[in-house]
Amino acid sequence: MGNEPPQQGIKYIESTVHLPYDYVAGDYKARYLRALKDKKILGSKCSKTGKVFVPPIVNSPESFAPATEFVELPDRGVITTFCVVNIPVIGRNLEIPYVAASVALDGAAISIFAAIQECKLEDVRMGMRVEAVWKPDGERHGDYEDIQYFRPTGEPDAPQESYINRL
Amino acid sequence: MKRPVAVVGVGQTHHASRRADVNIAGLVREAVDCALLDAGLEHKDIDAVVIGKAPDMLEGVMQPEQFLVGALGAHMKPMLRVHTAGSVGASTALTAVTHIASGLYDRVLSVAFEKQSEGNVMWVTSPNLPFTPPLVAGAGGFFAPYCRAYIRKTNCPPHIGPVTAANARDNATRNEYAHLREPVTVEDVMNSPYLWEPIRYLETCPSSDGACALIVASEEVAKKGPRKPAWIKSGYSYAEAMWVPGRDQVSPLAGRICAKAVYDKAGITDPWKQIDTAEIYVPFAWFEAMWLENLGFCDVGEGWKIIDRGEQKFGAHLPINPSGGVLCTNPIGASGMLRLGEAALQVMGRADAHQVEGAKTALGHAYGGGAQYFAMWIVSSER
Amino acid sequence: MKNLRNVAVVGFAQQPVVSRDEHRTTHEMLYPTVRQALADCGVDRDAIEYQVAGSTDYMDGRPFGFVMALDVMGSWPPRQDLHLEMDAAFAAYYAWVRLQTGECDTAMVVGYGKTSEGDPNRILNLQLDPYYQAPIGLDPTSTAALQASAYMARTGITDSDLAAVAARNRAAGARNPDSQVREATTAAELQKTPWAVEPLRTGYLPPVGESATCLILAAEGKAEKMCDRPVWIHGVDHRAEMQTLGARDLSRSASTQLAAEKALAMAGMRRANEADVAELLTPTPSEELIVCEALGLAPLGLAPLGLAPEGSRPAINPSGGALCAHPIMMTGLIRLGEVFRQLSGRAGARAVPNARRGIAHVTQGHCLQHNMVWVLGSERRWS
Repeated sequence: MGNEPPQQGIKYIESTVHLPYDYVAGDYKARYLRALKDKKILGSKCSKTGKVFVPPIVNSPESFAPATEFVELPDRGVITTFCVVNIPVIGRNLEIPYVAASVALDGAAISIFAAIQECKLEDVRMGMRVEAVWKPDGERHGDYEDIQYFRPTGEPDAPQESYINRL
Repeated sequence: MKRPVAVVGVGQTHHASRRADVNIAGLVREAVDCALLDAGLEHKDIDAVVIGKAPDMLEGVMQPEQFLVGALGAHMKPMLRVHTAGSVGASTALTAVTHIASGLYDRVLSVAFEKQSEGNVMWVTSPNLPFTPPLVAGAGGFFAPYCRAYIRKTNCPPHIGPVTAANARDNATRNEYAHLREPVTVEDVMNSPYLWEPIRYLETCPSSDGACALIVASEEVAKKGPRKPAWIKSGYSYAEAMWVPGRDQVSPLAGRICAKAVYDKAGITDPWKQIDTAEIYVPFAWFEAMWLENLGFCDVGEGWKIIDRGEQKFGAHLPINPSGGVLCTNPIGASGMLRLGEAALQVMGRADAHQVEGAKTALGHAYGGGAQYFAMWIVSSER
Repeated sequence: MKNLRNVAVVGFAQQPVVSRDEHRTTHEMLYPTVRQALADCGVDRDAIEYQVAGSTDYMDGRPFGFVMALDVMGSWPPRQDLHLEMDAAFAAYYAWVRLQTGECDTAMVVGYGKTSEGDPNRILNLQLDPYYQAPIGLDPTSTAALQASAYMARTGITDSDLAAVAARNRAAGARNPDSQVREATTAAELQKTPWAVEPLRTGYLPPVGESATCLILAAEGKAEKMCDRPVWIHGVDHRAEMQTLGARDLSRSASTQLAAEKALAMAGMRRANEADVAELLTPTPSEELIVCEALGLAPLGLAPLGLAPEGSRPAINPSGGALCAHPIMMTGLIRLGEVFRQLSGRAGARAVPNARRGIAHVTQGHCLQHNMVWVLGSERRWS
């Protein structure tokens, strides 16, 4: 600082926005996350149509009816579609390239998104049967990292009709 | 609509990856001033302002329209701020149209912008919800699986994405406002790396700073203006829930319903024949084929064939995105309004080097969210 | 003033305003609210032809936060939809404009946001321009204090006067089961609370709270079937002022005055004090006094009506006002909802006897930057 006027006009202002948020998970999500500790995947069932949503949500967006009943789903399903990602994502340590897939668990009416590992990229295909790979006993804490990724089960592929409408 | 509405002025900025020569107010004013000049109007003539942009995190400001009131000429006027994700530019224009159609307002300025170089676009557009594992960076990571599903369902050949992208870039060479104006070849696109396979780098929209402004007005005002207006024959915005079992993510129902509503109101029964040109929201090249089907220009499975036959090129039967579209220019908040504004310019005969000859009827289209929000209009040179 | 379409508020539901709902996300709070409003009107979701939402990404703590609301609003089949990045009362305004076009006969307006998840005092700093005002570190309490100082300097209003206004609101809040703060207190007690930012004491500021809200509008012909006592919109207008704090007279609300003039003219009401009830979005007593003056409810600079004894007309904030409940993105919609409750006989212990005309005021932005005034009545305005 001195007494001389600035030589150049100010062109840029750098400012970091830093805002803390303390989110409420909600009872539904909390219950789903806690169940992961026991290797359980929970969904909620539409009171009108019986369709199951995972993770559980309080209502069916399709019927607009409440979805209050919780059901357990198997930890396996089918890849309905996927992409191969070449850009690293913030907040996760996945080696690129990796497969990001839409996985329809058996019995679920909608899909979840998951990383697919333990297979060659070129082997991943729509219709491939996959299963969850959990963190070992004692290392699960009841959060979404309890499922590390999904891997092929080796079962025959699901027929296209069975998943093409559950993208 | 209760009464006819016309576009009487269109303005946009020169879009670039970073407009370091202006601050946010300056960026917005560039488009607004152009539109007013275009319409032969001054700020005092404007009854209300409707402004739209995408997430405020893109600039690290909250509801910036509040500090832009002065720059928008909105002091002591009604002002609304719209936010419908990627479709916002279009739904903002439609909101302005509703104001006129209601009979309550005669001249409304609609503005849409994004100065996203000032924030972290990748972070903002990555699907990222609390208590949900992050999986992909960028919006493309969300859409790429559905592009794959389209390719699989329709046996779309692998060159269609690259051909679409090369064509868009060729169109942009004729648009002085576009961000990316250098042409690329199909080989260039094929050789560019996959970001989220099947989407390649050169099949992906850029990140741009830019703004667009449209002035809409009543018939009485339009008839007095210095330019031939674009008449808005119809315009609607629809949205659908995300987690509907069996939701068609490749050809969303909200898009089909919105298109039908817009066509019905405008008296269009055969879009392929009756629409002269269309500006549709294609941020990733594969969406062009998907939207051609979703918008009813052809049957399911036939969209990529239009591109294969070159029928959507400039000078061909139905030029798509003669401006270059979102693939060449994407200030997220403004892109939807640019589509609608470019469609208006076409029927006004004012699209300069990218004018589609004899264009009388044009479609402007935008979408947003997880392909859930759709906003479109049909404009015509005829009242 | 030409004849407009008679549109009424026919339903309003809200979650009680609480400091934090530990069991439900913002969208989970909204779902039962929407169901309640529809049930109160005796209709199912398909009877609603248009939906508009009001919320902000920053209050939601995520970009594109509003997209998730589609799933709890019954957005299937796809619906005609819009979202404004504003207090939901502005969404109600737009719904009213749309109803005027005749494009729809019914509309649903929702407002939501879990204010407890973030720190509004930090977040709302971002509403200020990022070049000159935000970097100073001004938060909404400080800017309100600046405005309070200006008002007190011009009018001679004292700390005791502010305390009296606050105490009146607190007494009213005690009769409102949906209010967050429900204990009456005295002016003397409030004057013992410490300075938050002088001249505003902590007792003059609302606590952080959250809710979810849903309001239903219907045009004449439908309204009567959905509500035993529809509350008709007689007039409405809104105006935004420039934000720059040093560029306007903070001791007055010029935009409230202008909006009131226009709304009253539309309503055919000569003066605001012909209303029986007035719900003002004034979180602090100083703002309440400024707005009362701008509405013409109090003579300039003299003893404001806010200090007048109970039983005077209009009754101001019989709900306890925004001091007792301020969930931020929907506090404006609640003002409309409260006037609806008063005029339709749904106000329980806080009912103002024989209330037939009401005013709802809404504000947004620092120092009463953007204001909207609604005039409502038990009778139809136009025949």
